Amino acid sequence: MSFVPGIAVPIGGIEKELGRLWEESGDDKTRASLINLAVYNEKEGSLQMNSAIVQGIAGEHAMRAILIEADPEAAGSSASAWINMHCYPRGSKGGAVCSEQISFRLGGLAARSLQSVVFSHLDSDLPLALWWQADFRSPVEGKLWRWVDRLLFDSKHWKDPVAQFAIVSAIEGLPEARTVLCDLNWARCLPVRQALAGLFDSPFALPEIRRIRSLEITHAPGFRTTALLLVGWLADRLGWKLDSSNSFRDPSGATVTLTLTESVGASIARLHVVSEGASFEVRRDPDSDQYVTSASGTAIPSSGRMVRAPREETREILLAELARGGRHPLYSKAIRAIEALWV
Amino acid sequence: MSSPSVNPLREGIANRLAPEPCTLVIFGATGDLTHRKLIPALYNLAAEGALPPSVSIIGFARRDKTSEQFRTELEEAARKFSRTPLDEELWKSFASSVHYHRSPFDDAEGYRTLAAEMDRLDKERGTAGNRLYYLAVAPDQFPVILDHLKASGLNRAAEGSWARVIVEKPFGKDLKTARALNGLVSEVFEERDTYRIDHYLGKETAQNIMVMRFANSIFESLWDSGHVAHVQITAAEPLGVEGRAGYYDTSGAMRDMVQNHLLQLLTLTAMEPPTSLGADAVRDEKVKVLRSLRPLRGDDVFRHVVRAQYAPGLINGQPVPGYREADGVPEDSVTETYVALQVNIDNWRWAGVPFFIRTAKRMPKGGTEIAVTFKSVPRVLFNRTGEGLDENVLVIRIQPDEGVSLRMSAKLPGSSLRIEPVKMDFHYGTSFGKATPEAYERLLLDAMAGDATLFARRDEVEEAWAFVDGIEEAWKTRKDDLALYEAGSWGPAEAAELAARHGVTWRRL
Repeated sequence: MSFVPGIAVPIGGIEKELGRLWEESGDDKTRASLINLAVYNEKEGSLQMNSAIVQGIAGEHAMRAILIEADPEAAGSSASAWINMHCYPRGSKGGAVCSEQISFRLGGLAARSLQSVVFSHLDSDLPLALWWQADFRSPVEGKLWRWVDRLLFDSKHWKDPVAQFAIVSAIEGLPEARTVLCDLNWARCLPVRQALAGLFDSPFALPEIRRIRSLEITHAPGFRTTALLLVGWLADRLGWKLDSSNSFRDPSGATVTLTLTESVGASIARLHVVSEGASFEVRRDPDSDQYVTSASGTAIPSSGRMVRAPREETREILLAELARGGRHPLYSKAIRAIEALWV
Repeated sequence: MSSPSVNPLREGIANRLAPEPCTLVIFGATGDLTHRKLIPALYNLAAEGALPPSVSIIGFARRDKTSEQFRTELEEAARKFSRTPLDEELWKSFASSVHYHRSPFDDAEGYRTLAAEMDRLDKERGTAGNRLYYLAVAPDQFPVILDHLKASGLNRAAEGSWARVIVEKPFGKDLKTARALNGLVSEVFEERDTYRIDHYLGKETAQNIMVMRFANSIFESLWDSGHVAHVQITAAEPLGVEGRAGYYDTSGAMRDMVQNHLLQLLTLTAMEPPTSLGADAVRDEKVKVLRSLRPLRGDDVFRHVVRAQYAPGLINGQPVPGYREADGVPEDSVTETYVALQVNIDNWRWAGVPFFIRTAKRMPKGGTEIAVTFKSVPRVLFNRTGEGLDENVLVIRIQPDEGVSLRMSAKLPGSSLRIEPVKMDFHYGTSFGKATPEAYERLLLDAMAGDATLFARRDEVEEAWAFVDGIEEAWKTRKDDLALYEAGSWGPAEAAELAARHGVTWRRL
């Protein structure tokens, strides 16, 4: 039996039916919303998966969720809609805080007309975050993307990263657009970036940042792009220029070698940086909830610490991205620094 | 190639100044503040990777114990008071940076060995010679500690490093002692290296006052005497004096709450837009508010200020004793546990707008809020009688249930014209399910990063004391003005009369 994501409602009566749902839900429920989160997917069964994700995050980030399962290649035009609520107890005060969810299954013309079918159901005046779980298509359709405040996607799933990045760059550059690109893959590697940055806070370690000679990253299968984003971030921050598929030139002309190793474990299991006088490591053991950071060598005193590592679940990464807000100016720079390695 | 002066990998990681590696020395390391607030805050910062890995913590106290024993005690405290559950491995990692240094505060040798210990940690952990001293002790211990820090040269940092001091309130008990304390601190540390903590300023909602005022065009354009009728700032708690009688009876609500927390909230509410978000730009504007406060002296005090003390009563249906019956409180104490003030800010923006400040123990309900009541609409159209419409009130709730609400009038549905007040309410806890960091987390990071915006500057503290001293002096001349209020009530009738003289009633929280 196929998944039913709530109460079936006519598309023209969604707001009215939501009102009725609230009336019937009792006085102890409070509607809350910080954003509109629209999630677009072209795979069958996505409504069930995304409904579970929304349920998982609504307790920490209240929203109006709009889930879309689309089949734009279908013949004709079809559209179905469902509504439901995700409610969470409101601490010790009693009652519950609820987020609304509207789910659409669209086919054919309706699926190709997102802005008219779906975006007429936004909670007005709240930002729109659109999580695009499909391949981006060219040419870029301005009418759709100009509505979007934050465009979420996960470059981990890109089969043709160069082409996909070109499209999201075009979306970002649309006239009158104010879309912020939010790659969940970039959010995924933030804790590793933070842990590595911390190792260079020490004044003994800081000079070594200009003397890095090798970079090794161990990543899980399917997370090569995550590792490449880390490489791109370092290359941009430290002024490295790509020399070959496995080396960079730093600003002094010295070579920095790059090794990417695939191994079962955490998405980024190990990042190891070796400079002329020291060695720096961020490591996450299999099934561990911590990163272990360490620095040692002839030029610096040994140091290390454990820091909390987020669970590697979509829910955690999405929450981290939604809570962070703001623009990500280093993201595009990181991508450009290693564009030739994407393929 | 030249070495970078800042860590280029820090850019874009967090939208704040990065904390620098340092050795944090906590004087009074076996005390309540260390156990309840400082160590849980530092643990959470370390666990989240916000604390530089090389930060070292030295607890400096008189009691005889080893570092191991100290860590065990702290672990128990962190388990109890941390806002996140304690993780064994993360705690072990954090605790490895915690050390205990036993010494009396007045022993020069203790400071000499402290210096040696910090030098050792500098080499071992790369703390760069940066020192942060936290005076988590009673104020009578400040002079001896500061004197010894100076005598041992620990107040001076090596070239390229820094030495800072964090001072806990109370910053003196009147203007004279505050000046003396500030003078003492300034002989040892530069003002730019002095961080006077008022934990209210580290609270999310206190920080949000400026965001709300200066990041929203609708409020600031109404934020003046042309539109605001009056402002009420309230900090109430159902608790009594509990175990703090020794301190509290010499302090009272005016010194304990008004001089620092409530005047800080007043300055944030009434200040002009700063020229930037830099520490001094913000604090310059706050000081101007304090300087614009119309002084209260002599008989004026009894017209504008009500002090009171709680008598036996009921809290949550349970009988509670009066203040004078509490352990450690003299039977004839005239210390105020309630104070209500009506103050005026004599500047262009606020001329003629009464500000009401109220703080009390043993109230029926706890809470801290700022309520801005706007002027009534003209007596035409819906307000012809002048009695039917409630004013718009903007309430900023500092704690608990942090948030903002706005009361406005709306037509009741139906064929007749009936207007009722409705409330638009924003609750942090409803919209953001995640727990906010403790105030001390933010403030410790700021001190390590050299950002003093949320710390009180010397002139702020002294201006606040100058205002409060006028009231305290007048109180010394009389004792018959001390009112009594029943525990569990909303305060004495005299306070209601004070507000009523301005056509105002105190808000129920």
